[in-house]
Amino acid sequence: MKAWRVALALAALCALAGVPWYGSDVLTQFGINALLLAVLAQGWNIIGGYTGYASFGNSVFYGLGSYGVAIAMVQWHLPFAVGLAFGVVLALVFAFVLGVPVLRLKGHYFAIATLGLSQVMTAIVSNVELAGQNIGLVLPPLNDDAQFYELSLGLLLIATLTVGWLSRSRFGFGLIAIRENEEGAAVMGVNTTLYKVLAFALSGFFSALAGGIHAYWITFLDPESAFDIGLNVKMIIMAVFGGPGTVLGPIVGAFSLSAIAEVLSSEVTSIAGLFFGLVIVTAVVLMPRGLADMLRHLRRTGWRYFLENLRMHRL
Amino acid sequence: MSALLEVRHATKIFSGLVALHDVSFTLAPGEILGLIGPNGAGKTTLISFISGTLAPSGGEVLFEGASIDRLPAFRRARLGIGRTFQIMQPFPGLSVLDNVAVGALFGSGGGHSRLAQAREEARACLEFVGLGPFIGKRADELGGTGRKRLELAKALAMQPRVLLCDEVMAGLNHVEIEEVIDILRKVRDRGIGVLVIEHVIKAIKSLSDRLLVLHHGEKIADGTPEAVLSNPVVVEAYLGRKRA
Amino acid sequence: MELFAQVLVNGILQGGLYAVMALGLALVWGVLNIVNLAHGAFIMLGGYGSWYLYTYAHIDPFLGLPLTAAVMFALGYALQRGLLNLVIRAPMFNTLLITFGLEVVLTYLAQLVFTADFRTINPPYAGSNLALGPVVLPLARLAAFAVAIALAVGMWLLLLHTRLGRAIRATAQNLVAARLYGVEPRHLYALTFGLGIALAGSAGTLYGTVSQINPYIGAALTAKSFAISIIGGLENPLGVIAGGLFLGIVESLTTLYVGQTFADVASFGTLVLVLVARPGGLLGRAA
Repeated sequence: MKAWRVALALAALCALAGVPWYGSDVLTQFGINALLLAVLAQGWNIIGGYTGYASFGNSVFYGLGSYGVAIAMVQWHLPFAVGLAFGVVLALVFAFVLGVPVLRLKGHYFAIATLGLSQVMTAIVSNVELAGQNIGLVLPPLNDDAQFYELSLGLLLIATLTVGWLSRSRFGFGLIAIRENEEGAAVMGVNTTLYKVLAFALSGFFSALAGGIHAYWITFLDPESAFDIGLNVKMIIMAVFGGPGTVLGPIVGAFSLSAIAEVLSSEVTSIAGLFFGLVIVTAVVLMPRGLADMLRHLRRTGWRYFLENLRMHRL
Repeated sequence: MSALLEVRHATKIFSGLVALHDVSFTLAPGEILGLIGPNGAGKTTLISFISGTLAPSGGEVLFEGASIDRLPAFRRARLGIGRTFQIMQPFPGLSVLDNVAVGALFGSGGGHSRLAQAREEARACLEFVGLGPFIGKRADELGGTGRKRLELAKALAMQPRVLLCDEVMAGLNHVEIEEVIDILRKVRDRGIGVLVIEHVIKAIKSLSDRLLVLHHGEKIADGTPEAVLSNPVVVEAYLGRKRA
Repeated sequence: MELFAQVLVNGILQGGLYAVMALGLALVWGVLNIVNLAHGAFIMLGGYGSWYLYTYAHIDPFLGLPLTAAVMFALGYALQRGLLNLVIRAPMFNTLLITFGLEVVLTYLAQLVFTADFRTINPPYAGSNLALGPVVLPLARLAAFAVAIALAVGMWLLLLHTRLGRAIRATAQNLVAARLYGVEPRHLYALTFGLGIALAGSAGTLYGTVSQINPYIGAALTAKSFAISIIGGLENPLGVIAGGLFLGIVESLTTLYVGQTFADVASFGTLVLVLVARPGGLLGRAA
C-alpha cells in the first residue's frame, strides 16, 4: 500500500477515535450507531459481497450476540467479555449447524431460507424463559458512551482488516470464485461447502459481536428488536450502496446512509423517509456498482460515468 | 505401465434415457486419447463422470489404480484431474490473470498458498497458451477463441496429471487449430495424460495417439487413429456413407 | 370436531387470499427474476384504491376490481418501462435494492396522502354469513376466496395456454432467443411486471374487504408472499394456490392447537423445511 494512503488512513482513524472528546454527546451516539452498522455491513460483505450469498440471517447472529451478552450478564452475573464470548459461541454454532443445509441453496432461495430462519428464531426466543420471553431483558447500565464508541471503532477496524486480508488471500479468492461461478470453482479444486460455511461463520462472528456491544449499550433487548429483519435489510442496503465485494465499500455505505438519514430526519422530518427512498432508487440507477466504485472512477471519467452505467445496464 | 486413469463399465441413465452404457478405457501418462462420436453420444457425460460433476449410475473411475468414485469434484481436482468446459465457465468479474490464478491456488495438491506465487504461475500458463497480451483484461472482454484458450490456461494452472478437453477447437480457423494442437502436444510431452473430445476429424486424427469412438453411449472402437477411422462400423455410424 | 372444521375452513378461506397475494410476486420473480421487495406496498395501494372508489364513488370493491386492476397494471407497466428496465442488467442485488427504495417511497407517499388511519372496506353484505352445516362462512371472505381462485386459475390459463403467456415464458428463459422471435423484450418485461402489479392491487382490494389497511402493511405482506411463493414453487401458478392454502391451513391449525405466537414459527418453519427438502416447492421438482 502506498505510503500516503496509509498515512491518510491513520489520520482518519485518529480523527474518528477522538470524537468522544471533541464531539458532542449526540455525535458520539450517532457515531456508535453508525460504527456498529458499518461492522454489520462489513460482516455481511463477507458472505454477501465476496461469496455472493445474500444472507438475510445475519440479524440472527446479531440477535444471538445480543442475547448472549444479556443472558450471561443478567441471569448468570458474568462479566461483559464473557457475555460477548458466549454470544459468539451461539452464533458460530448456528452458523455451522444450520449453515450446511441452508448454504446448499442458491441465489434467492438461500436469501429466503435465511429470512425464514430469522422469523423462526424470533418466535422461538419469545418462548424461552431464560431469555425473558416476550418481555426481554434489562441489562445493568454502564454510562460511558466513550468506551462503547472506542469498542465499536475497534471492532470495525478488526472487521475491515479481516476483509482486507480476505481480498488478497487464497481463502478470499476461493470465495470470489464461488461467487463468480460456483461449479467452475469446485472443478478447479475449491472446497465450496467448507468455504461457504466458513464465510458464513466469519460473517456471523462480527454480527454477534456488534449485537453484544449494542445490547450492553442500550441496556435493553427483546426478541422483536434483537432479531429485527429491518436491521438485516439495512446492512445489505449499506453494503450494496457502498460497494459489495470491496474493502471500504460497506464503511462508506454505512456512514453515508446514516448521515443522510440523520440529516433528513432533522431537517425535513415529515418527508425524510420519502427522500431516503428516492436517494436509494436514484443511486441504484446511476451507480449500480456502489459508492466506492463511483468515487474511484468519478475523478477519471467525470459525468460520463453515470451515462456509461445507464447504457451498460439497461435492458 | 499402470494406467493413469481407468474407467470401468461406466453407465449413466437419465430418467429412462441411456446416456452411457458399459464404457471402459484407460489413459496412460504422456498420451493423447481422442474421443469422438456424433452429438449426444455421451462424450461430455463421460468427462463429467471423471471430473466428478456428474454421478454415475454404474461403473467406476480409477486414478492411479485407486477408485475415486466417492470423491467430490474439488478433491479430484486436487488429485490432478483438470478439465475444460464446452460451455465456457470463466469467472466473469475477475481479470484474465486472476481467472487462471484460481487454478494455481487450488489445483493439484491444494495449489499454491500465496497469491503472488499463484499469479506468477498463472502468467506462465497464459503465455504458454498464447494469451500473454490479454493478461490485464477482464475475463468477459475476451472473444470466443480467447475464452477457449482461457479455459485451457485455467486447467493447466492446476498442474494437472490428467487433462480433459471438451471441444477446445470448436469454432477455430485452420491456423488457430494448429496452434491448439501444438499446445496440446507440448502438454502431452510433459507427461500429462490428455483426453480430447473433438469434432474436427482431421485435427483429432493428427493429434491423437489413440482414438476412442462413442455412439449412442456405447464404445464402438478403440485403437490407433488409422485403424479406427477405417473401421467400417465407425465409418457407418459417424461419418455416414463417406470413406475417411 | 365442529371447531376443527371451522378452523380448517377459516384456514382455507385465508389461504385463497394468501394465494392471490403471492401470485403477482411469483410471476415477476419466476419470469423476470426480479425480487420485488415493494410487492406488499402495491397490495396496500390497491387496497387504498378500492377504498377510495367505494367511499367516494360508491363502487362495490368486487365490481370495481377490474378498474383497480387496470390502473395498477398501468402503474406497473410504467414503472418497469421507465425505471426497472434501467437496471435489469446491473450487478446482483441491485433489483433488490431498487425495489427496497421503491417500498420506502411508496410507504411514505401513502402515509402523506392517506394518513396513518386504519381503513376498511365495508360493503353492506360484509357482516352477513353463509352457513354450511356447522360451519360459518363470512360472505366477504367467501367472495374474496372465490375471486382469488378465479384469478389464480386465470393466470394459469394465461401463462400456459395463450400465445402471450408462451411469449412471456420464452422471454424469461432466453432473452436472445426471444428477440429472434420478434418479441420486444422491453415491452414484454413491462407487460409482465404490469400483470404482477395488477395482481397485487387486486389482492389489496380483496384484503381490504376482510382486514384493515394502513400504509405500513406492505413489509409484512411482502414477507408472507415470499413464503407462499417458495412453498408453492415459482414454476406454476397453480402451485401458488397450493402454497397459499397450505400456509393458511397450517397457520389456522397452529393457532388453534399450539397458540397464536407459534403461528409465525409454523409458517416460516415450513418455509425453511420446504427450501431444504424440496427447493422446487410443493408442486415443483424434488431436491
